[in-house]
Amino acid sequence: MTARVASGDMKIDPIVTDDVLLRKSARGDEAAFTELYRRYQAPLFRFALRMAGNRWAAEEIVQDVFMTLMRDPKKFDVERGTLGGYLYGIARNRIMKHQERLPRELPLDLEVEEGNATLAKWSDEKTPAQWAELKQRREMVRHAVMQLPVEFREAIVLCELEELSYEEAAAALECPIGTIRSRLHRGRALLLAKLEILRDVPKRVSAGR
Amino acid sequence: MNEQEKQRMRCEEFEIAGLDLGGIAGNTAQEEEAREHLRECPRCAALHENWQLLRDDLRAIGAETGNAEASGRVELRLRQEFRNQHGTTKMRRAAVIASWALAAAALLAVAVTWTNWEQAKRNAFTKSSGVAAVDSQKVTQQAKSSAIDETAPGDETLLASNDSEDFTLLPGDVPGMSEDGTVVQVRMQRGALGALGLAVNEESATDWIQVDLLVSEDGQPEAVRLPQTSGN
Repeated sequence: MTARVASGDMKIDPIVTDDVLLRKSARGDEAAFTELYRRYQAPLFRFALRMAGNRWAAEEIVQDVFMTLMRDPKKFDVERGTLGGYLYGIARNRIMKHQERLPRELPLDLEVEEGNATLAKWSDEKTPAQWAELKQRREMVRHAVMQLPVEFREAIVLCELEELSYEEAAAALECPIGTIRSRLHRGRALLLAKLEILRDVPKRVSAGR
Repeated sequence: MNEQEKQRMRCEEFEIAGLDLGGIAGNTAQEEEAREHLRECPRCAALHENWQLLRDDLRAIGAETGNAEASGRVELRLRQEFRNQHGTTKMRRAAVIASWALAAAALLAVAVTWTNWEQAKRNAFTKSSGVAAVDSQKVTQQAKSSAIDETAPGDETLLASNDSEDFTLLPGDVPGMSEDGTVVQVRMQRGALGALGLAVNEESATDWIQVDLLVSEDGQPEAVRLPQTSGN
């Protein structure tokens, strides 16, 4: 993840490492904390959004993650992994708790912050019927993703939606690459099985194995 | 292992690795095997095609929220919380330092006051001792000495020392004026001491006593001493 130069009155060298920023933050350096937030909030927010399914929950999760980091920065041990992995770990716990409270009641938010952009945008190349079909299909895909068990959904979200490499996904979830491959395989199989109604394949992967 | 078993096994392998042909890039042998299997197996070809369609949809869903990020409100809330947390810590630390400083200042003030008081007490004692030097003899105003009038102990009278070495200043006399005075030994009635401004017990006023008077150059008595030999 790349660092950005903070705007306004807070200037942080973008090559400053996470653990240096975290140490400064623990000593009360607000600029360092803000820089850490700006480095990680977007990927964490997207992860939370795709896992939890709505913006407000994703924002709450991101806020919780950074509150935890702010209140107890010493919990992060640089010897045990990256700060990104640590933050994803907190986010995963928060997502689990959120879903225990609100089990899949809310649909994945279709809107992005600015402009109400929907998934299947109208284009001149498509007839209204094609556009409607595309929109419906993607809605079903989205629904199917939300119904996956958490560990498979995490792998699908990171590797297919976020398009991270296996190595990056393994670092984020703090697990071996083999585990990511395995979860991805099972997740894909489950997805294909759930969406079988859309496809014309006579017999597909054994998702239930 | 017959041909069918080989085929099934290859299908299972393809499901694991072949769906993600991009993901096995770099492993050209495995990729080539997967492509070969794809050409030979219509089921896996259909599966692969479906997966590609599904992947396109997933990527499109991902692209839809690809630039999504938490709103500015979250950052503002977090920064406010950060300020509160660290502000509180700083204030607590400042309060602790201030209270320690206050306690130290109070202790210092007490120590200085006590030292000054001790010094003043010592100075006062020294001064009162210095006043006692009159001529070659000493006069003291210390009440620690025994009563002048031993015949009437406990009377609230001006007391003069019975110590033969000490004179007691008469009321109204300034110490140090009688540096060239003369000691005059007189025998007088105790009641006559009243004329010198000393209080006298009336019961023993008629007693005759021996008195040493310190008389200044102008003939005025300045101090009085009752030698032991004078009896009462």
